[in-house]
Amino acid sequence: MPTIELQNVTKTFGKHVAVEGLSLTVPQGSVYGFIGPNGSGKTTTLRMIMNILYPDSGEITIFGEPLRPASCDRIGYMPEERGLYKRMKVREVLEFFGGLKNGDGIGAKVDRWLERLDLADWANKKVETLSKGMSQKVQFIATVVSQPELVLLDEPFTGLDPVNTDVIKDAILELQAQGTTVIFSTHDMSMAEKMCDYIFMIFKGVKVLDGTLAEIQDKYGTDTVRVKTGDGMSALQNLEGIERVNDFGQVQELRLAPEGNSQKILQEILKRTYVRSFEIVKPSLHDIFVRIAGPQAKEVERA
Amino acid sequence: MRKILRFALREYKAAVKTKGFIIGLLLAPLVMGGGLIAFLLLKDRVDTTDKRVAVVDRSGLVTRALVSAAEFRNANEILDKESGKKIRPAHFFEEVKPSTNDPKGQRLELSDRVRSGELHGFIEIGPQVVHPGKDPEAFQISYYAKNAAMDDLRGWAAWAINNRLRQVRLADAGVKESDVKDLFFWVSVDGLGLVSLDESTGAIAEGKRASPLEAILIPIVIMMLMLLMIMMSVPGMLHSVMEEKTQRIAEVLLGSIKPFEFMAAKLVGGIAVSLTSSAVYFVGGIIALQVMGYEDYVPLHVLPWFFAYMLLAIIMFGAWSAALGSTCNEAKDAQSLSFPTILPALFPMFIYFPVVKEPLGSFATWMSLVPPFTPLLMVLRLCTPGGVPAWQPFAGLLGVLLFTLFFVWAAGRIFRVAILMQGTPPKLANIVRWAIRG
Repeated sequence: MPTIELQNVTKTFGKHVAVEGLSLTVPQGSVYGFIGPNGSGKTTTLRMIMNILYPDSGEITIFGEPLRPASCDRIGYMPEERGLYKRMKVREVLEFFGGLKNGDGIGAKVDRWLERLDLADWANKKVETLSKGMSQKVQFIATVVSQPELVLLDEPFTGLDPVNTDVIKDAILELQAQGTTVIFSTHDMSMAEKMCDYIFMIFKGVKVLDGTLAEIQDKYGTDTVRVKTGDGMSALQNLEGIERVNDFGQVQELRLAPEGNSQKILQEILKRTYVRSFEIVKPSLHDIFVRIAGPQAKEVERA
Repeated sequence: MRKILRFALREYKAAVKTKGFIIGLLLAPLVMGGGLIAFLLLKDRVDTTDKRVAVVDRSGLVTRALVSAAEFRNANEILDKESGKKIRPAHFFEEVKPSTNDPKGQRLELSDRVRSGELHGFIEIGPQVVHPGKDPEAFQISYYAKNAAMDDLRGWAAWAINNRLRQVRLADAGVKESDVKDLFFWVSVDGLGLVSLDESTGAIAEGKRASPLEAILIPIVIMMLMLLMIMMSVPGMLHSVMEEKTQRIAEVLLGSIKPFEFMAAKLVGGIAVSLTSSAVYFVGGIIALQVMGYEDYVPLHVLPWFFAYMLLAIIMFGAWSAALGSTCNEAKDAQSLSFPTILPALFPMFIYFPVVKEPLGSFATWMSLVPPFTPLLMVLRLCTPGGVPAWQPFAGLLGVLLFTLFFVWAAGRIFRVAILMQGTPPKLANIVRWAIRG
């Protein structure tokens, strides 16, 4: 039984269509990544799943039942904009938020999570004394402390340093290992590639990608060459058969034109400089995202 | 319900555990009753500096009597009989010969002596003061001083002068004062409540003596107390909802509770805060009145109505306040909405005097049945000695209940839409649209 099923869900604000005809199935125990440019409809979709916003049409099924207010007690939700009572102590605020959903043994659960995320020493400090990273970890605990079966995280890694990013990432994977379904939205494509079982992309309110990373990449074929040369980007100017060059500094990604031939391109580069590595790969999620939502994107194509 | 109570408990603790609440609890009655307390404390404090007053007596009949009366007073009334301490100023009157050719110049000269501090003031008595004619200036008595309107000496001098005039008039009429000593005995009219029959004993109970304290002060104090209770919780809801919205706590909460539960929890928390404050004030007030011997004046029969109306008033105004708070995007919005939020609660303060003066009049009756004004005005009327017809508090309560349900329904619709709305200004048109469309 899927944890979430959205069927042809539409939500408008005035004349603006925020989400249009969205259908989505989230399997139980999966990590599902929501990607899309700002304002594309990710947060609106999450809010509809949380029953904070009501869809104009379509149906949302959670845990095999039509969405109803009581369903939210089984869902943990961390909005994009973090919000904690600044004048409350860390332990108090966690017990309060956790207790609103499931107050059973909340004190022990709070202690365990504070220990787990290295915040035990801050339990009796006021929230206003915490750094941004610590506040974000407290917000994460407030979301998961009631042991929800489904966790919705709206951009959980934004503003975190690499150490804290790893802490949150490990915690998410630990939740998944315990059977929790996790949905998170992110602008970090590499994190989505590495962590998500499934990736969903929404653009201008319309679903444009949905599936595993491999399925998504297969759709775009092997039209990408990742190359490292002695002269970097300067050796790749005006190559024939190339549609676009994405320069990462140490490495460049070349997207082949439909008529492009990778062997000819390799020969041309070798004429110009020496090649350290030359690899024919599937396009990265970052590249796919840019192809869909970048300035040169064509019309929105439904997935 | 569990969530509402849990959230309400947080709201309650957040409010009452602050120093601001405790200070407010102590200061609010001091501020509201400060004038009265200061008056009671300072009413016996008088300036005991001796006062010298010039008398320009154009009748030639009064000055000597005035001087004699002042001498008697100075000898007998300005010192405390037990301690011998001076408690009042001595009065000295100085006769000044009236100027016939330049009365204005004389007044200016005497005014300058007052300005220089040589005199406290001066009195000018008209020539026909004993038997007033048609010309008012001819029998006028004028008192000139720096603060003549509020000067106690003016009142004392008026008493002494009129005593003398009465003597002169009796003498002119050929009547001995000792023959008509009761002529000026003033008999006051006592105000009493209605006589009632005690049905259990058959005894007739005398009407209760009416006092200004009972007729005016107690009703106003009780009404002010309810206003204080409303003010201690309602404006706070506007700001706390605004803070929860702007600090993005609202969306986190909405992940756990429905918008209506959110608002309901705010109201329950606010009611709990007000009940705490009112319990403190009532217990404190009743103890204080018992110590002072005024316990009979506590209108205990009004207390159930007080709490019922207070409860509904906080729900009614609190829902309105929370709804307006949800429309705010920044502190500036909340500031500009603060007054409209409390205006319906404050309005009865503008009309309380005619209501307490004639609590059974048609104006008082109809205004106290207008739902937003009912809680304060009905309690005010209930506290007056005559009370109100028995049906009126019930009718008022029903009206307030229906109006409160409507308010909460409309506020809930506004709240649900506005709490997640960022950047949309809290204009009246938007608020009405959200209330209608939800």
